Amino acid sequence: MKTLATYSIKGGVGKTTTAVNLAYEASRAGARVLLWDLDPQGAATFCFRVKPLVKGGVERLIGDKTALATNVYATDHAGLHIVPADFSLRHLDLHLDDSKRPIRRIATLLDALADLYDVAFLDCPPGVTLASESVFAAADALLVPTIPTTLSKRTLDQLSEFLADHPDPPVILAFVSMVDRRKKLQRQLVTELTEQTRGLLPTAIPNASAVELMGVERAPVAVYAPASPSALAFRQLWADVAARLWN
Amino acid sequence: MSGAAVTFTSRERDPADAISALAGLGFVAEPSHTVTRTLLDSFDGRLHAAGLRLELNEGAGLDLILSGLDVVPARVRVDSVPRSAADLAPGPFRTRLAAVLDVRALFAVLRVTSTQTRATLRDRAAKTVATASVHDDVRVLDRDGVAGVPRWIVEVDEIEGYAKPARQARDVLGEQLGLERVDGDVLTIAAAGAGVDLAGFSSSPTVPLDPAMPAIDGFRAVLANLADTIVANWQGTIDRVDPEFLHDLRVAVRRTRTIVTQGKRVLPPAVVEQAGERFAALGSLTGPVRDLDVYLIEWQSYTEPLGADAMAALEPVRAVLARRRDEAHAALVAAMRSDAAAELMAAWRAWLNDPAGDEVPNVHADRALGKVVAKRIARVHATLVEDGRRIGPDTAAAEIHDLRKDAKKLRYLLECFASLLPKAPRKAFVRPLKALQDNLGEHQDAEVHIATLRAIAGELHDLGASSDTMLAIGQLSERLDQRRLAARAEFDRRFANYDTKSTRRAMRTALDALEE
Repeated sequence: MKTLATYSIKGGVGKTTTAVNLAYEASRAGARVLLWDLDPQGAATFCFRVKPLVKGGVERLIGDKTALATNVYATDHAGLHIVPADFSLRHLDLHLDDSKRPIRRIATLLDALADLYDVAFLDCPPGVTLASESVFAAADALLVPTIPTTLSKRTLDQLSEFLADHPDPPVILAFVSMVDRRKKLQRQLVTELTEQTRGLLPTAIPNASAVELMGVERAPVAVYAPASPSALAFRQLWADVAARLWN
Repeated sequence: MSGAAVTFTSRERDPADAISALAGLGFVAEPSHTVTRTLLDSFDGRLHAAGLRLELNEGAGLDLILSGLDVVPARVRVDSVPRSAADLAPGPFRTRLAAVLDVRALFAVLRVTSTQTRATLRDRAAKTVATASVHDDVRVLDRDGVAGVPRWIVEVDEIEGYAKPARQARDVLGEQLGLERVDGDVLTIAAAGAGVDLAGFSSSPTVPLDPAMPAIDGFRAVLANLADTIVANWQGTIDRVDPEFLHDLRVAVRRTRTIVTQGKRVLPPAVVEQAGERFAALGSLTGPVRDLDVYLIEWQSYTEPLGADAMAALEPVRAVLARRRDEAHAALVAAMRSDAAAELMAAWRAWLNDPAGDEVPNVHADRALGKVVAKRIARVHATLVEDGRRIGPDTAAAEIHDLRKDAKKLRYLLECFASLLPKAPRKAFVRPLKALQDNLGEHQDAEVHIATLRAIAGELHDLGASSDTMLAIGQLSERLDQRRLAARAEFDRRFANYDTKSTRRAMRTALDALEE
């Protein structure tokens, strides 16, 4: 099983949108996928219409090695399962801190399900916390949505520098997110990001109304707008990721 | 993980009764449509043996579904039916299939059609919490007169995390409606009804034997089983469905030769003389094709470490290998389609089927099989050890190849008569023998592949190949030579691990049990 985390130090850059749509595209391409919603807002859980409930709360989820398996729910899409989030996850750092080897904890919990899935997606809240350290230790790759703003490159560089000191750091797979190609400045910033960021995935995700509808439709974009540029972009983005990690 | 589907049928009730009962629980039925499901597996049932099931679902499109007990089902849409794992797009689905199938082709094991009505139960958030599929007019395709398949079947799927609604549906269908619960799902029920063995064909040389039986009967049983393997793999070899058909046919032919040679005092002398020679001739024709198959299968692992540029420069070499393989295969096919081959197999089958026809029984024909086999194994083992101890730093490659033949003879005897030998001691000496064989195989493959590469280099040079190609051939040749030298350096350790007192003790224990 490969573990991919949608992560960014910044909030509001499209992490959950990426997690939901790439998890769907991965399952559509034949992978057995587990999406673990680690964000107490539970937006990914909501998008798959699953009840926001962690049995026993985050304390049991983190403390009991068997609890992750009992919190798995099938989504309405073949091969795609989810561990939902609830508001108790706001105390994730606290309970990680109480656990044995907190940095390794998320990896240890996922190990129990490693034979059942090909890919685990971790949808992470923003920020640099103990939870994100544990995610870095578990993840083979970080999927980093990068919006076309002048500060985004700096944030990405900060993440690269931070991970450089880690033993066995995850691969950073950054890509441009929420791009509005009608705006000249954004087009210019995308060009600059592409030129300045080594290994940037070639597919950019557009900022489109189809994506905004996810909260209404409660489904991945490709389910309700299969021919939309956003759906096609997420499909291509998954192909980019798969080519990097499986070829 | 959720369990497999729970399945019901009934002679008294109709599909409409099941759909109506499900509707009472809140299930909403979708329009019915015809679905054809095809079970795919390799000729030797590798997916089945690995606890997996690959299904092609033909409905609105072509979907491949890879599932199994306690396995999260994976689904992928395809444009056409894949012939092997290599036909699928890169990704986890292909990786999982390739890990089990390797180079084996996929076959349609069973095709089942039905009129399917899918019913779904959703919660207040419109999330699916249970599904059921009613299959009416279930028919096995491409097979006449299948009588054992129920006319209709309803499957209730439990969805991970939502056990309760599925349990309620099962209770209503089973207890209230009185449907009969049946094991399996549509495909396994249809397979059982049609008498389809999902295990596939086994090329295993092992047959049940009794050490006290007359040696001639034991040898004949082993040879009959090998003849079945040759016949089963014959057409697949001609059609070149996948390289394993030729491999299994070749091994069965070589095992036949070994058993015939080792049975020279058991089998009728005329049989030993004729069959030995003719199977040797057939076996030698399979050699060049197999060598080139192995070369092409290993091509990527040989060339990838040299880098993309070298791989591109070596493409003319790969093309020559493929062409030579095609030519060697054509020669083999011509031989297999010849009257001589047909006569060989017909005469062989006739002798195997007619135990009373042995006019001149051989001297050991009526001896106890166990005693004869024990003696043969001990003799071949002694030869292997004797020859192995003579191998030194300057031994010619041909002598090492002869040692490989000794090892193969011993292995074939052990495999073909495995049912006579106690498992634990047999494993104790087969393990180091196998390790030795692997080493000898690596050495031989490298030897043959270096010689082939040199011949191709000469051919391409005369045709004016580019300097890039000639340089890349040099790189590849060096790499193959490194493999050869590594295998040669490893030989002493592998042989020493085989030539031990503990191996001999284990063998003695196994053979003593045979002679009791």
